[in-house]
Amino acid sequence: MGSSPIIWKTARFILPFLLFLPFILTWSSPVLASSKVPIKFDSFHGYSGTVDYLKAVSRAYPNLTELIEIGRSSLGRPIYVLVLTNMKTGVALDTLIPLRNSRNEVKNVPPMKRHQGKPGQWICGATHGNEFTGTEVCLYIIDKLLTGYENDLEIRRLLDEKVFYICPIVNPDGVYNSVEAGLSQRGNVMLRDDDGDGRINEDGPDDLNRDGFITQFRYKDPKGEFVIDEVDSRLMVRLQPGEKTNKERYSVILEDIDNDKDGKRGEDPASGIDLNRNFPEGWFRADGFPGGQGDYPTSAPEVQALAEFFTNYRNILMAQFFHTSGGFTYRPMGSSPDTAVHRKDAAVYDFILGKKYLEIIGEPIPEAWQQPEEMEKFKAALRGRTRNRYALERGYEFPRGWRVSYNENEDRPYGYGLQADWIYRQYGAYSVTTELWNPLKDIPGFPELKEDTPRSEIQRALLRYQDEKYGGKLFLSWKKFRHPELGEGEIGGWLPAYSGNNAYPGEPLLNVCEKHWQFELFRAKLLPEIVISEVKTKFLYQADSSLSATVNQEIDQAIIKKGQPKGKYSIVEIKAIIENKGELPTHVARGASLALNREDIVWLLGDRDKIKFLIGSPWQRLGVLEGQLKIPVGLAQEESTSRESLSSGQPTLSSQIRLRSETQPTESQTVKILSPSAREVTWVISIEGQTTLKIVASSQKGGTKVKEVILE
Amino acid sequence: MKIKIIMISIFILTFLFSSEGQKKLQTSPGGYHGELDFPISWKRYYSYAEWTKIMHDLARQYSHLADIQSLGKSRMGREMYLLTITNKSIGKAEDKPAMWVDGAIHGNEVNGITCSLYLAWYLLTRYDYDPYVNHLVNHYTFYVLPGLNVDANDSYVTWPNTANNPREPYRPEDDDGDGLYDEDQTEDVDGDGELSMMYIEDPKGDFKFSSDGRRFIRISDPNDPARRFRLLGPEGFDNDGDGRLNEDDLGGPDPNRNFPADWNLPQGHPYPLSEPETRNVYEFWLKHPNIFASFHYHNIGRLIMFTTPPRLQLSLTPEQRQQRQQQFEQRLAELRQTNKYAQLFDIEVPPEYQEDLRVQTEIVTMGARILKNYRPTPSGRVGQAQAASYEMVGRYAYLIELWGTPDFDADENGDGRVSDEEFLKWIDIDLTGEGWINPHKVKHPDYGEIWIGGTAKKHITRTPPARYMEEEALRNTHFVLYCVSQFPKVEISEVKITPLTSDLFWIDVTVKNDRAYPTSSDRAVQLGKATLDKLIFNSSAGISLIELPAAQSALDLINRTSFAPVAPGKEIEFRLKGHDARTFRYLIKMTTPEGWVEFKVISKNGGQDSKRLTIKASS
Repeated sequence: MGSSPIIWKTARFILPFLLFLPFILTWSSPVLASSKVPIKFDSFHGYSGTVDYLKAVSRAYPNLTELIEIGRSSLGRPIYVLVLTNMKTGVALDTLIPLRNSRNEVKNVPPMKRHQGKPGQWICGATHGNEFTGTEVCLYIIDKLLTGYENDLEIRRLLDEKVFYICPIVNPDGVYNSVEAGLSQRGNVMLRDDDGDGRINEDGPDDLNRDGFITQFRYKDPKGEFVIDEVDSRLMVRLQPGEKTNKERYSVILEDIDNDKDGKRGEDPASGIDLNRNFPEGWFRADGFPGGQGDYPTSAPEVQALAEFFTNYRNILMAQFFHTSGGFTYRPMGSSPDTAVHRKDAAVYDFILGKKYLEIIGEPIPEAWQQPEEMEKFKAALRGRTRNRYALERGYEFPRGWRVSYNENEDRPYGYGLQADWIYRQYGAYSVTTELWNPLKDIPGFPELKEDTPRSEIQRALLRYQDEKYGGKLFLSWKKFRHPELGEGEIGGWLPAYSGNNAYPGEPLLNVCEKHWQFELFRAKLLPEIVISEVKTKFLYQADSSLSATVNQEIDQAIIKKGQPKGKYSIVEIKAIIENKGELPTHVARGASLALNREDIVWLLGDRDKIKFLIGSPWQRLGVLEGQLKIPVGLAQEESTSRESLSSGQPTLSSQIRLRSETQPTESQTVKILSPSAREVTWVISIEGQTTLKIVASSQKGGTKVKEVILE
Repeated sequence: MKIKIIMISIFILTFLFSSEGQKKLQTSPGGYHGELDFPISWKRYYSYAEWTKIMHDLARQYSHLADIQSLGKSRMGREMYLLTITNKSIGKAEDKPAMWVDGAIHGNEVNGITCSLYLAWYLLTRYDYDPYVNHLVNHYTFYVLPGLNVDANDSYVTWPNTANNPREPYRPEDDDGDGLYDEDQTEDVDGDGELSMMYIEDPKGDFKFSSDGRRFIRISDPNDPARRFRLLGPEGFDNDGDGRLNEDDLGGPDPNRNFPADWNLPQGHPYPLSEPETRNVYEFWLKHPNIFASFHYHNIGRLIMFTTPPRLQLSLTPEQRQQRQQQFEQRLAELRQTNKYAQLFDIEVPPEYQEDLRVQTEIVTMGARILKNYRPTPSGRVGQAQAASYEMVGRYAYLIELWGTPDFDADENGDGRVSDEEFLKWIDIDLTGEGWINPHKVKHPDYGEIWIGGTAKKHITRTPPARYMEEEALRNTHFVLYCVSQFPKVEISEVKITPLTSDLFWIDVTVKNDRAYPTSSDRAVQLGKATLDKLIFNSSAGISLIELPAAQSALDLINRTSFAPVAPGKEIEFRLKGHDARTFRYLIKMTTPEGWVEFKVISKNGGQDSKRLTIKASS
């Protein structure tokens, strides 16, 4: 099976592109001196540069990193996750609990990794191939963490206690095409015959002028929808539907010819599906027909790689999916209304994460978020002022910078099968999608423009900016070209990488990186942290030597028969306090009840031949330990379950969820709730001879800790 | 009406297929049909190594009719072998309408392996002898995947297991929430090769020996002075030392909740087609649009579960519901006066899905007739393979629940059920004592002295004793073959000319599909995946078509049988339903003394046919 022709055709032009890049920038960004693998942000790394960097840091920092290939793209390019944490800390639960008499016919369980016993944060970029600013932010964060480990105590503590899973490129083929091959491509690559002519990907765009970039071709056309901008003649302005004009009309298309001579241009390109419409949550429409993209949820190899990774790494509580552009963040949901988000989670999202995000990007924080306890007042104030029923239920409209993508005014989904929705609803993490890059804010000294400023005015300002700072090299000036099918015209326009989706390398990109590093750092510091804060032991009985015994009991008489010597024998009471000293709870509101998730637990371990559990079973459920942060909840009405059916693939009756530890109290459970974030567990055991005892507290997303029990 | 349709079907079954130059035609029911050409015992269960060797041997011996390929690897690295059966010299497998058959998506339901393997063997060994099989193998393709869940299938056959385990693919999961994965499985404690139940003597227990000492029975009288036992559960050890046994056995998600139709997380986790086994199968389905229908073998209960269209929710008052129920029962009773296998389903579907409900009713009516004591019933949906086959790809799909209570042999008092006593007698008499584990004492490392036994062995309840398999496999093969025989077949049944003048004629062309299935399902139409049938007009140079508006035309206004729709062009598209015929009328002008017209019908699933009519004008 042939690979996509467009890739290999354009691959020939990578070299001139790379040679051209150094000329784009006249300054050099500061290199962080302490890094063993220096990195600059004055050009885009693309797929190859990113992979080189990941391999280099994983070689240079073996004690802080692990590079995992989580899957491959359609064209076989590896998808990498860089694990960042102190590889010498953390507890693998399976190494602590010895198994006996096991069947062992099937070896299907891989050994646990130590970092799976730490609270995790997922950060990824470039789900859309042409939105690779997120890739750069990921690399920036990797650099900050690795260099910070040496010289910043806070970061050192973070990497000792927590783990980051950073996947700079979710869509390798899309990024490769967008950066290395000069063709802006949002989707993945699919080896699919789009037009049903028996050939695969035979008619995509073409680099007509052979400059290494797929830019635009404009030609005079009485039916064209574009005219030349009156201020800057390099810009093409799209006419409104039905708009009249006296100016010359143009049509603007991608550089493209009809490769297979079927009368259509670009009808079978390598570009496949939008990966952010291929996730399981809300992929189906209510009528049972597909709503998302792809043949089925997770049909794209890139999406399956992510799905499989999350299935195997259950320790992630924070997730970021970087996209571009706009300079704002979507928190879930996009495929369902806000009633699908538990009010407690909404409070964490809006009043804690959202508030910080707005601070970082410098936008005003809604008054309601500053006084959530006054929410009834804000609700009353909204009445009659909005037709957004979800805002009325909540008490506030979302600000520009922090919102949901679900269209609340028209009550319809933004899309089907969205990744951040899936992670929140089906995996159980505080996921967000940040749309990076807002030129109005991220370019220093950019003219004062407003959000509602006409697009053309922003374009003019951007063109001027790249003229001044980048020597005009981001925009290809229009040059005459004779198109073999369309005749005379010109080729030119923004280079694909800069056509509006991505932060310009250098200062603007560094601004974006720094802001979002700050946001991710803030989020990492909120992660839960399970601690065995206290262990108390008390001997209830102790004997240096003892004998085994049997009994022969009549109605009112018992005869004890002495047996073999047993040696030292004692009965011990052990009390342990398990706490979550981190800020957030160890699960999102419904997290513990989702498939493959579990409650926090505690084990008491010792030599099975020597100890007997007299009170309390060896492992016990602790429920979900709340964090130290006060979450202002209980403000909005209880979520309704009737709307749950809107998207498929989600647990039902979420408001009635009870944890197993609440529903199945047994005599063997000896857990006392000290506070929402603390539990006390009591065991009484008998010990024959001597043994080492250990307490292991394990929370999927709050970490696993082990403490040896010292018998006084 | 229904009766008539079935009569037609029987007619087709018996007489339609002529022997097309068969080498060793055998028409006597007492004659040799090739079964010793590939000798194989159908009175045992086969391990993965054995059944895949049989597949390879079949493909080698019948290389002109069969190909073997792997759909990919299972989680534990086993190849998922598929047989493709068709006469390759009469067209490529992927160009013929196909039936998909898979067995044992649930690991423990291995009689599905036998049934699908039997189908393959039956088709191949009988091909040269049996004209019915010969015709089907010539013109259709059979994709047969005997074991879908190969890892668990092999474990079930090979190792000690209860009748219910292992069922799922081997994705590691933490069933009990203790932080460990699959760490406390069942074990064959007494090492007898069977996995039975464990009991311990306990004065507070609520079990005692049955009077014959072969079973443990529940004590109903609290003052019963019998020796008492407590049920510990299936054989096993406390592997992780938490005081519980077998609480985290092998097995991940239910593979038949893992398909992308009406999928949900709690049942189908972690994500649709997450298992290599289910994904390999579904990817194959997508790459083979020639698959027209599918069979999926399960156990137990003797059910023909069939896919049904989305239903209309009727809002009825209790009185209306009762009235509706009465009418339904009355209609069914009427139908059953002449055919005890007649089926009718109290289901309301939207108008655009009527044909799917009609044909499924017809097919499962014959299924009930062929399989005898099987009961047709609509299948479930959530994440199920057959539901995805229908809802996502538009194919007619059937889930067969094989086997069930052996009432036909064991029910002595004729009450329609099999009591525990009758069941034991069945084992003693019909199985000549094979199949029961008597209680016996065993030393257990965690409990000390315990009792194991008082249960049937593995292949007694969910999978039948091997001696019972062949008859059931044969009947099920016949049902699959019946379905394939009802795949659509388009024909031009009549071309009739009516002159208006000596050079201007009406030509009526009738295309038909005599078979039960339409040329594509209603669901495929709704999904936008259906390829419509085409009728193409062609003619000699002197003959041309006069294009008329698409409408009903009349040859004779007062004779309603002369009405027919006008063919609006040289190429027209439509869908033939089951037992359907459509007539199209063309207006033809002939400017030469002689010429011809030709009509060709092309159907993706119904084949092709063409007829040419030569027209001569004479004075």
